[in-house]
Amino acid sequence: MTNPSSRNNSRRRDVAGAEDSDGYEGPTAKTGRAMTEAALDHALLQELVAALSDGELPWGEARVVRRHLRDCVPCQRELAVQKRLGSALAQEPARLASTALRQRIQRIGVRAPQPFALGWRAWLAPAAATGLVAFTVVCGAAFVAVGVGRAGALIADRDQAGRPSAAIPVLQDALADCRRAMTRNFPRKADLQAVGAGLHFPVRALERPDVELFSTWKTTLAGSPAAGLAYRWRGTILVQYAMPAEMLRRAPVIGAALREAAVFSTSEGGQGIVVSVANGRGTLFVAFAPAEELRRLIL
Amino acid sequence: MKAETRRARFQAVTLPHLDRLVALASRWADGHEAEDHVQETYLRAWTAFDQLRNDGAAFAWLCQILRAVATERRRTRARRQGLVYITELEAAHEEIIASDKPSPLDELLLRLDGVALRDALRSIPEEFAEAVELHDMHGLKYREIAQITSAPIGTVMSRISRGRRLLAGLLALTDEESSKRGVAT
Repeated sequence: MTNPSSRNNSRRRDVAGAEDSDGYEGPTAKTGRAMTEAALDHALLQELVAALSDGELPWGEARVVRRHLRDCVPCQRELAVQKRLGSALAQEPARLASTALRQRIQRIGVRAPQPFALGWRAWLAPAAATGLVAFTVVCGAAFVAVGVGRAGALIADRDQAGRPSAAIPVLQDALADCRRAMTRNFPRKADLQAVGAGLHFPVRALERPDVELFSTWKTTLAGSPAAGLAYRWRGTILVQYAMPAEMLRRAPVIGAALREAAVFSTSEGGQGIVVSVANGRGTLFVAFAPAEELRRLIL
Repeated sequence: MKAETRRARFQAVTLPHLDRLVALASRWADGHEAEDHVQETYLRAWTAFDQLRNDGAAFAWLCQILRAVATERRRTRARRQGLVYITELEAAHEEIIASDKPSPLDELLLRLDGVALRDALRSIPEEFAEAVELHDMHGLKYREIAQITSAPIGTVMSRISRGRRLLAGLLALTDEESSKRGVAT
């Protein structure tokens, strides 16, 4: 059977000299001539309608296809078909990784325990371990006694909890929304004005030289409207949720931490989570980074 | 690089993509098999992690590995037994866009559940279905799909366009057939 896509591509090359083995550069890239509608027949323009609908067509070609669309009813219908199918498929729920798989992946690279040594090491190891435990207990007691680092202790406590989000609906919703957005590769636009429109609280982006905002979206957390913002940050993705401060204070655990330390931190499934409030605005950050590192980034 | 630093970087760079990879693996395998594919992908990625120069390209890199894993393990899978003729689907699609009547697609899609839509997509030839799935269901950009499938971007563009057309044609034909069956009974 002839491969229809290769048949069409060779046709595209014939008509406009558009493609080479490295990639599609657009019909004008090699010839330097302006692409005219006359040079491309209806069938070729019809094939570009999908790329136009997906926002993947270079500006010059998009203009030509749009002009063609004004008068060509079949291409207008083609555009409707492409959009309708694209959005129907995008609604398909995506499967998420199971907790067991996530844990297995997180263990990759962890060194297997060394075989127990014989001889003098056999008694030295437990002795050293006992000494280390004793040392830790003494240091820990001293640390608490002088009342230093209450916030730090809070983080440690929360980090040790299995799934802190289980008891905090707003956190649970934020993590689920974050997973959904990641699975969908995030909405393609970053428009702070649009995402803030209609919300009764201001949406402010993080302003730091090492973060780059690339996506914004509206969402609902614990039944209230919120805004999601995604940034590229040191090779990973940082997600920020903006919402009224009251929504966060309403969760008893978060409320208590905010009253004590003005910040709530925790971690779950390898993700750091930091919550803070200021001037009635509540902010929740999630990233695959230690919560402590996340705190340093935003505070 | 120290082992712990390497491991921390590996986790930071690859873990954010775990859910997307599982979703993607589901196009080649079901249930536990899909998760096995992903685990194998991560193990291979860990071994070859030093070859990843650009952290920003991690997802496309992981997809390439996953695709290779799935291809190796799929030898005996004959998923596309009910393949339909392309020309027939193209004719059905042409009919939709040439007709003055309102497009039957909107109504059709409202009636279809997600499983039926996915099954229909998987009944069209693999190269078209793959490109459409990667774009529409997994949110990949044309350039990323080109990298993952090792195809020129023009080919990706063409496959997505034609893939959706074939899918529209298939949905219309299937609907027509079930209407006929309904009338006959």
